[in-house]
Amino acid sequence: MAEIFETLKEPIYETLYLTFVPLLLSVIFGFIIGTIIFITASDTAIIDTSKSPLLRIINRIADALVNIFRSIPYLILLIWVLPITNALTGSMIGAASAVPSLVFSATPFFARMVVIAFKEIDKGTIEASKALGANTFQIIFKVLIEESKPALISGITVTAINLVSYSAMAGAVGAGGLGFEAFQYGLARHDNEMMLITTILIVILVFIIQITGDLLCKKVDKR
Amino acid sequence: MIEFKNVSKTFDGKKKVEAVKNVNLKINDGEIFGIVGYSGAGKSTLIRLVNQLEKVTEGSILIDGVDVVKLKGKDLIKERQNIGMIFQHFNLLWSKTVLENIAFPLEIAHVDKKTRLEKAKAMAIEVGLEEKMNVYPSSLSGGQKQRVAIARALVLNPKILLCDEATSALDPKTTEDILDLLKKINQKYHITILMITHQMETVQKICHRLAVMALGEVVEVNTVDNIFTDPKEELTKQLIQTVDTGLDVKKMATNLKEKYPDGHLLRITFENKNSEEPILYEIINKLNIPINIVSANIKNTQAGALGVMYIHIKMRSDIGIVLEEFAKYGVKAEVI
Ligand SMILES: Nc1ncnc2c1ncn2[C@@H]1O[C@H](COP(=O)(O)OP(=O)(O)OP(=O)(O)O)[C@@H](O)[C@H]1O
Ligand SMILES: [Mg+2]
Repeated sequence: MAEIFETLKEPIYETLYLTFVPLLLSVIFGFIIGTIIFITASDTAIIDTSKSPLLRIINRIADALVNIFRSIPYLILLIWVLPITNALTGSMIGAASAVPSLVFSATPFFARMVVIAFKEIDKGTIEASKALGANTFQIIFKVLIEESKPALISGITVTAINLVSYSAMAGAVGAGGLGFEAFQYGLARHDNEMMLITTILIVILVFIIQITGDLLCKKVDKR
Repeated sequence: MIEFKNVSKTFDGKKKVEAVKNVNLKINDGEIFGIVGYSGAGKSTLIRLVNQLEKVTEGSILIDGVDVVKLKGKDLIKERQNIGMIFQHFNLLWSKTVLENIAFPLEIAHVDKKTRLEKAKAMAIEVGLEEKMNVYPSSLSGGQKQRVAIARALVLNPKILLCDEATSALDPKTTEDILDLLKKINQKYHITILMITHQMETVQKICHRLAVMALGEVVEVNTVDNIFTDPKEELTKQLIQTVDTGLDVKKMATNLKEKYPDGHLLRITFENKNSEEPILYEIINKLNIPINIVSANIKNTQAGALGVMYIHIKMRSDIGIVLEEFAKYGVKAEVI
């Protein structure tokens, strides 16, 4: 048993790396893109877009890009992004090599979650803040984020869980992690015990993420 | 003083809506000025122009001589800090406590934390919320929420307070309390209050003067004393009566919805211009649908029908075609 865990130490570390590094990056990029989409939408009334065709074009393009990238299955995206990865990291294998594709996949997903979270905020609240003298920057940081915290947290949770599952796929094509382990032992060697253990570990990781997310969500929800 | 000069606002959507048409109005300092009129008359649009939540299409709005229409960026934000606003649905930040909500305008005006908490506390006490300062808005009653909103709107010491149906979501007793509070504030701080209401009792109770709006226009401005005893326009007289009896449009809608849970409920507003045509008859015939009149409060004036009617339609297909038909006759029909 101890031996098995010795073998799995590295893969566990890799899976955590493949989940949380892309998560951090996608949350940052996704937040920026989602916010841009939300505030440049003509019906949000945060900034007046009626006189700025540029803003409307930005809105359309960002929205379209998010939709396109969101509909590409991860495995296909992974193959597309590999050359870029190669140019960036100089190698097509190893944990770091999967990060760009994971970010590419999770960013549009989280961006959409941000838009949905912001849309749930009562328009009247945004309007009231505007009437009280808030500028666009303050509306984003003091109203949108604060008022949609529970939805943003559950968005991060779902994105993290997606990343666990994508990282297993990335693992199978050479990025390491528990996915690679399951692939190697399970498929190639029919080692059912190893298969079971890796699966259980992944399930435990997903549960921890879900429970933490739910607890945080509950804590900030003052509705 | 607030001065509207030839103010018009047209919404360019799929259909152009002239929400405010050529309004000229002077509101004096320290006055409580009421705005009444049918749903869709343009009342909200008019007061939202004062703090530039909507931009005018034409005209200017002078506040103490400054044309707010021309203000941009920082200047506009400065001016907005001089104009408090409260709403029908309170629009509080639910992620902040009562005290933090009240302190919010100070926070965004970059007032330091100690000062803003002091001021917010004083304001909370002023509106009678000393017991509730550290709770979240979700645990408050409607009246208490509106008190938070009032405190928040006043914490920057504005010269003007805009109220868009501030008491429409409250029961009569709470409405009384909130009106008393507004009256007290008006007297104490000499603040100008511009308030939209559907309730004539409200006008009678606290307004000094009022404007009657219909179809985007201000059709009469009068003192409250005179408007009940001596309305200038025939239209005003009728309007006041309908506003009076059709008292709570929102309550009416909820009641009807409970009574007719399936099918579609529409509110049809007749505003004088739809003369003698047998509109309902023609629509029933044309679309071959059963229309059931469930409530009506319509007066016939020399100019035509005036008032509100509620109809119930049981049909599976899209209600859109019915709305279109009413639109063809220039009658306002809304799904409730
Ligand atoms: N953002 C908007 N875009 C398009 N049309 C609008 C917009 N806001 C208001 N309108 C239209 O302008 C007209 C006046 O609306 P407004 O909200 O000012 O009426 P109101 O008098 O406040 O009515 P209520 O008593 O129902 O609140 C209506 O016909 C409405 O549909
Ligand atoms: Mg209104």
